[in-house]
Amino acid sequence: MSLTNILLIYIYFIIFATGGLAIYGIISKNNLIKKIIALTIFGDVVNSLIIFIGYRLVPKPLPPILPSLNPDKALYKLYVMSSVDPLPQALVITAIVINVAVIAFLVFLVVRIYNSYGSIEYDELIRIDRGGST
Amino acid sequence: MIEFPLLLIAYFSTLGLVFTYFALRDKDLIKAIIFSTIQSISYALIYGTLLAPDILLVYLAVGFGIYPILLLYAVSKTRRYEKK
Repeated sequence: MSLTNILLIYIYFIIFATGGLAIYGIISKNNLIKKIIALTIFGDVVNSLIIFIGYRLVPKPLPPILPSLNPDKALYKLYVMSSVDPLPQALVITAIVINVAVIAFLVFLVVRIYNSYGSIEYDELIRIDRGGST
Repeated sequence: MIEFPLLLIAYFSTLGLVFTYFALRDKDLIKAIIFSTIQSISYALIYGTLLAPDILLVYLAVGFGIYPILLLYAVSKTRRYEKK
């Protein structure tokens, strides 16, 4: 097994471990702000996996930017042979912007919950909802 | 040199895993926000190493600016310490 394969397996293992840790945080942490922090981390993991699809394992990969305004045939050939895929990057830009909007909505929801119920702990909120007191 | 970007990505993702663990473990929410900001910067550097410079610029602004400001606003309006 070559060094490239070992590194690829290691990177996938670490990124999936981070994703698992983030899902654990979303499900089992009791504080709502901690859940939001875990949600931002999970968004990072998913975006990096999507960008990893478009990466190209050639000796000198190029960013998806044409370096000249009037390119000739050789430049196009170099671009096609060694540039990374720009489509996952465009999708990820959109996903990041949507993520920011969702996180802002959740933050103001948490502040509203605290103003109404006086707590941001999940089990206390369940107890208040079932008719008990804090 | 196919391996050099992969080595950089392996280093930054390990850094992200360690700071994810710290951010989820800490009971002080402001410390947790700082750890998750460091994790965001390491993932932004992963995006830059994967040759997506536009996402590097966007994600530095988002992960270093907007997320911590929103979360610190929420902490300032609610409680700083997690219970238990």
